[in-house]
Amino acid sequence: MSMALTGSEGPGSGLKALHERVSSVIRGKDDAIRLAVATLLARGHLLIEDVPGVGKTTLAYTLARAIDCSFQRIQFTSDLLPADIIGVNVFNSETREFEFRRGPLFANIVLADEINRTTPKTQSALLEAMNERRVSVERTTFVLEEPFMVIATQNPMEYRGTFPLPESQLDRFALHLRLGYPSEEDEKLALSEFKDFSEIESMGPVITGQDVLRMQKEVDAIRMDESVLDYIMSIVTGTREHDAVRLGASTRGGQFLLKVARALAYYSGRDFAVPDDVKEAAPHVLGHRMMLRKQTSITDAHRVIKDILEKVPVPV
Amino acid sequence: MQHLLYKSLTAALALTGCASLIVSGELNILFMLPGLAIFLGYYRYLTGKPPISRWLVAGLAVVEIFVLGFDALVVSRDFLIALAHMTIVFQALKSFDFHEPWDPLQVYFMSLLQLIIASEIGLSMVVGSVFIVFIFVFIAVLVVSHFMKEGTIDHVDFRRPMLLISITAFVFTLVFFVSIPRLKSGIWGRQAGSGIRTVGFSGAVDFSSFGDVLGDDTIVMRVEIKDSRPVPLYWRGSTLDRFDGVTWTDTFRPRERIGSNYGFFTFKAYDFNLDELIEQYVILEPLDTEVVFGLGEIAVLKSQSRILYRNKAGTIILPQKSRRRYSYTVYSSLEPHELDKDEFNRDRVRYLHLPRGMERVRGLAREVSGDQALPPMERARLLEGFLLNEFDYSLQTTRPPRGVSAMEHFLFNTRTGFCQYFASSMALMLRSIGIPSRIVIGYSGGEVNMMGNYVIVRQNNAHSWVEAMIEGRWRRFDPTPLAAPSVSTGFQQALDSIRMQWYRYVIGFSGSDQRAMVRTFTMPVIRMPEFRGVQLRFRPVYVLAVLAALSVALYLIFVRGIEHRGRSYESRAYLRFRSRVMRMGGRVTDSSAPHEVLDEAVANGVDPEQAGEFIRLYERARFGGRGLDSGQRQDCERLLVRIFHEGRGER
Repeated sequence: MSMALTGSEGPGSGLKALHERVSSVIRGKDDAIRLAVATLLARGHLLIEDVPGVGKTTLAYTLARAIDCSFQRIQFTSDLLPADIIGVNVFNSETREFEFRRGPLFANIVLADEINRTTPKTQSALLEAMNERRVSVERTTFVLEEPFMVIATQNPMEYRGTFPLPESQLDRFALHLRLGYPSEEDEKLALSEFKDFSEIESMGPVITGQDVLRMQKEVDAIRMDESVLDYIMSIVTGTREHDAVRLGASTRGGQFLLKVARALAYYSGRDFAVPDDVKEAAPHVLGHRMMLRKQTSITDAHRVIKDILEKVPVPV
Repeated sequence: MQHLLYKSLTAALALTGCASLIVSGELNILFMLPGLAIFLGYYRYLTGKPPISRWLVAGLAVVEIFVLGFDALVVSRDFLIALAHMTIVFQALKSFDFHEPWDPLQVYFMSLLQLIIASEIGLSMVVGSVFIVFIFVFIAVLVVSHFMKEGTIDHVDFRRPMLLISITAFVFTLVFFVSIPRLKSGIWGRQAGSGIRTVGFSGAVDFSSFGDVLGDDTIVMRVEIKDSRPVPLYWRGSTLDRFDGVTWTDTFRPRERIGSNYGFFTFKAYDFNLDELIEQYVILEPLDTEVVFGLGEIAVLKSQSRILYRNKAGTIILPQKSRRRYSYTVYSSLEPHELDKDEFNRDRVRYLHLPRGMERVRGLAREVSGDQALPPMERARLLEGFLLNEFDYSLQTTRPPRGVSAMEHFLFNTRTGFCQYFASSMALMLRSIGIPSRIVIGYSGGEVNMMGNYVIVRQNNAHSWVEAMIEGRWRRFDPTPLAAPSVSTGFQQALDSIRMQWYRYVIGFSGSDQRAMVRTFTMPVIRMPEFRGVQLRFRPVYVLAVLAALSVALYLIFVRGIEHRGRSYESRAYLRFRSRVMRMGGRVTDSSAPHEVLDEAVANGVDPEQAGEFIRLYERARFGGRGLDSGQRQDCERLLVRIFHEGRGER
């Protein structure tokens, strides 16, 4: 889907800088970057799934470091415990009291690398925090600081040593993204100008966390015409009625589709959403929420959504 | 700047409205004269001259309202006519007074009012054609004003939608017309006017009455005789029984009131042989009399009136004079019925009454009628023959000398005169030899219109003849020698035939006509009148099939047009864009989002800049909730033209 970023109605300067920064590191993935940034603007969490080595972590890392806010990276392993990410109460011998030592989850952007390598127990601890944006430890509740976004990466399920995320938990991610291999040209470029993480770190942020909060507010104000809302509803209903689908998209799926479509409209410099925004977001927002009768990979779900999109008339 | 086309159509509508009133022929020319200013007004309006002062217009309007009162109360004595005069003057005033964009709306309203008044005061065929013109002009002006409002007048070809809407409106008007029978009378309850001056059928008739009308070829009635038998054309009106030496009068009063039985009036004082009744459909022009005409003796009458009157002599009278054309069907018997002897004997003396000073007439009658032993019929024939053969017909009569009655002057001096002289003389001569008699006033003859197969009766067909009571029946005698009948040309006949059909099937269209029409559709075959020796036949089923096919075709054309209607301008423009892309071979469906359509358009060689600009305008208006002002609409239209015409032309 080609969405022209040029013209008078391009994104705001902050957003443009952010996009340019990320795309200078991840070559040839403009659409994926758009969707990733749109997820941030829609206050959603992002799940990137693909084979190792196509730049999942790099994308998440670059995005996080381009924003001037706290960042934590958690490498998920099979022996990681919930306390390792949330934090623990430790006994302070001086004050003779227990005090909470915050875990890596207490950051604006959390990169949860290879989330499907850890046990469901740890996964659910993270996902609970994602949904509620707060953490409870022994009767004390800690509200997580905004903006808060989890960017999780995972290898496709069929790979060894993984604990696939259950549907209920997948549902909490606003967007599910596949990067795919870059084109030959872009890959060559990526090889020649390879940047390591310290290099990315040294590039410095382009926008602040406050900027992100402001943009999130502006996204909320994007006009959603009644007809576009109906269009979203038709698509969501379509996933529930499609023959190949065992379980259709949830209401939360519809909510995220609306939010991401707004964010994409904002991304295009418009203050109103159009059907194209919905169409662009739909496979990525709804794909991972559906259970097909016969599913081998996420691409099957995308095919079903494409089928639905071809049937649902666009409001004129 | 307002569009010149729009201005011209506004002017055309105003003139159509005025024309509808003028062609009704009911208006007073003096009151219409100020209306001539309308031409100056619209000339100034069309050439862009500024409107004149509002104060002047308002002042003149106030004056006109006083004129209306004067007109209605003193001159026309008819509020509707006065109102018609006023609307013409107001139209003229308005033509000088276009300040605001909505001013033309007042013109439309006034034109509509004029048309309604016109249809009320006159139902001539010309008003009907003006009405059809009005439908088309009215719709044209609405369509044009709509496109002007959208700001697309210069880009859209509005002729097709305009024509389609006009035709639909016309068809619906027709349907409306067919499904609703005409009103019996005006809803305004207009007062009866003077009507065509006749010889005075219901009142008194003297000799001069006929002299006035016999040179007048005004049409009095048209009659369709639904019988193939040859019939003598004597249209009986009223009978007069008393002669005072100068004037014949009708002494039979009071009249009997007869109520309608489902539209039928039966005058069943005697038994008729139903097979011998002759059916006639009569369309009577507005006359100054209430008398009803028919061939022979009317047995049954069908009309929309609720009551009728009938006097003892058999004259049938409407409750009031008809201000407009009045149509009815009569079934009448040519063979006079046999009278009840006892009843007749009571009236016998009336029919034998003679004024004083009739000795000379009596002498002549005895002399001419031969032997007293002859049967009365033969004696009457002798009298009739005497007048027919020995006397001349002429409208030029001379005054009788002092001391001589007009009758004697005719019988003994001039021996020339017209019907009234002949009929009076014969009636009196019959009475003087003891045969009861009366004179009948009506029309005789008429011109048979070959085109429409009906008879036109004119004023100069006015006639009087004699009925004599012989052997218990009223026998007709006509002692007047024939005058040369007037003949009109084929063209006049054709024109009159159209007029007759117009009245018969447009104005006089009634509930029974509707039923008849439904019946023709259920009949298996309709035989058309012979046309150049070929007998045309068709099955109504085919007509129905053709009509159905036509309506389906119209419907399809419309649905295609309506599909886009009800949508906002930007959606319609986008749909046009989309269908153009589709026609260019772009893989576009209902589920294609605007940018996908754009991609397809670009893939098919459309300029990406302009198409992108168009899509941006569309999205802003449609989903951004901003709408498009007329300038932006013009931009859209310009872009569409450039995208699909100029760009591709160069390629």
